[in-house]
Amino acid sequence: MKKDIIIDFNHVTKRFKLYKNDKKRLLGVFSKKVPYKEKLAVRDVTFQVARGETVAFFGRNGAGKSTILKMITGVSYPTKGTIDVRGRVSALLELTSGFDPELTGRENIFLKGQLCGLLDDEIKSLEDEIIEFADIGEYIDQPVRTYSSGMRARLGFAVNVNIRPEILIVDEALSVGDKEFRSKCLDRVNEVIENDNVTLLFVTHSTSTAKQFCKRGIYLVNGQLKYDGDIDQAIALYEDAGKAAKRRRRAKKELALAEAEFARTGSEEARLKMEEAQKKLDKARAMIRELNKVGSEQ
Amino acid sequence: MSTLKAIINEHIEWRRQILKLAKADITKTYSGAALGWAWALIKPSMTIAVFWFAFTYGLRGGGPVNGFPFILWMIPGFSAWFFMSDMITGGTNAIRKYRYLVTKMKFPVSTIPTFVALAQLALHIGLLLIVILIFIGTGHFPTLYWLQIPFYMFFMLMFFIFWAMFSSMLGAMSRDWQNLIKAIKQPIFWMSGILWDVNKITIPWLQKLLYFNPVTYFATGYRNCFIYDTWFWEEPLQLGIFMGMLVVMVLAGFWSYRKLIREIPDVL
Repeated sequence: MKKDIIIDFNHVTKRFKLYKNDKKRLLGVFSKKVPYKEKLAVRDVTFQVARGETVAFFGRNGAGKSTILKMITGVSYPTKGTIDVRGRVSALLELTSGFDPELTGRENIFLKGQLCGLLDDEIKSLEDEIIEFADIGEYIDQPVRTYSSGMRARLGFAVNVNIRPEILIVDEALSVGDKEFRSKCLDRVNEVIENDNVTLLFVTHSTSTAKQFCKRGIYLVNGQLKYDGDIDQAIALYEDAGKAAKRRRRAKKELALAEAEFARTGSEEARLKMEEAQKKLDKARAMIRELNKVGSEQ
Repeated sequence: MSTLKAIINEHIEWRRQILKLAKADITKTYSGAALGWAWALIKPSMTIAVFWFAFTYGLRGGGPVNGFPFILWMIPGFSAWFFMSDMITGGTNAIRKYRYLVTKMKFPVSTIPTFVALAQLALHIGLLLIVILIFIGTGHFPTLYWLQIPFYMFFMLMFFIFWAMFSSMLGAMSRDWQNLIKAIKQPIFWMSGILWDVNKITIPWLQKLLYFNPVTYFATGYRNCFIYDTWFWEEPLQLGIFMGMLVVMVLAGFWSYRKLIREIPDVL
């Protein structure tokens, strides 16, 4: 049986052009000769997501998670490759979901609903539910610019989860809310996944939260897809990589200290310390290499 | 061609939202202010009053034109300028102002210049109604020539939508562009015959050169309706040159849109 593919990410590469400053960027519009640096944010990534799947994205800052989600949302365009998305996407990118800071929370609910193609009556019927869920009290009639980041995330989450999305994208949004609100969100997300067969794409650094939601994990390193499969395995890889990086950092520091001591005293003790640190560093590096290999075999 | 088709499709598909966003754009500017909507009129009235004073009493240049007191001569061209002035800078800022539509959700960016221009047009029409009341109040009743106001208004709207498309893309790419536009707005105002009569220029080549300035075309066009009693087809040379300028602007708008639409979300 062929699965109902809702997102088809096909050999996608995203390259950013980095100019030295704004002026250079403006000149770059008119002339190709203006020099710039290139940054590959996403390198040849391919994956598919079926309807109703729940996928978590892991990776360190700058690994390309947000860029990938932005391309799925349709905000950003790939440099190479194709992306096919079939379904209404509701995205919570970087805490806010595209609120107009000058409009009030209530006005923003309507605007956002309209932009998602809902009719006024439909939004009216959802309004109370959204406001109750956001639970920001009197602030609902204040301009969004006066909101704290927590309030913004609350309203954003309330809107996005309640406008009946087919694909729900949550990018780090839950990291600011308090514990109670977070568990409320988790319950709600679980509800829409089960009842409405919503597809969830989730970016977080909290592996335990991801595990609660998602069955599948995608692990990215430097814009490359290293692992795509079972969530536990993805978390293990991500955490191991984190540990290995930490060890390497520590070993490097130790080595530097030992080297300095050896240079100062020239003692046998310091030399031994240096050797030991070097060994630790080698071990950490080997571990990282090993991890990378595991990834690329997938 | 495919770009044009895509843009038209986006406008048709999102027509409802375009109107809502235009409305929100106006309410946003004036809601929360105690005087609210009155500001939309206070600002232009102040400007006109100041220039009228300076020209009538200070510079002593403002004698009656074509039987109309200088202030009445000034008002129609000036009301067109307020729209153009807001579009020159506001159009350049359009995408930056609505960056949340570009970077946080899937939204047809080509419609941003359109709804920003429509919001300005609504204010412009309000101002124009006041102008009409002023003319009637001072005993200058509507003539057949007033019927061509919608003609000038339509082309002014079109021209500045494409201007905004061209300029907002560059403005989103770089702040230098925004500053450049801000800096040349004043020169445009003084060079375009908003405050003086273009027809009085005695150097023929300079007068011809001003035909290429769309700002002059619209300011003079509004005066053709209210003051000079001239039909737009009675000035075929100016009309032809303006249409040429419109085509240039349309092409520039498309060029800028096509070239930058994919980069804009990454730099904002």
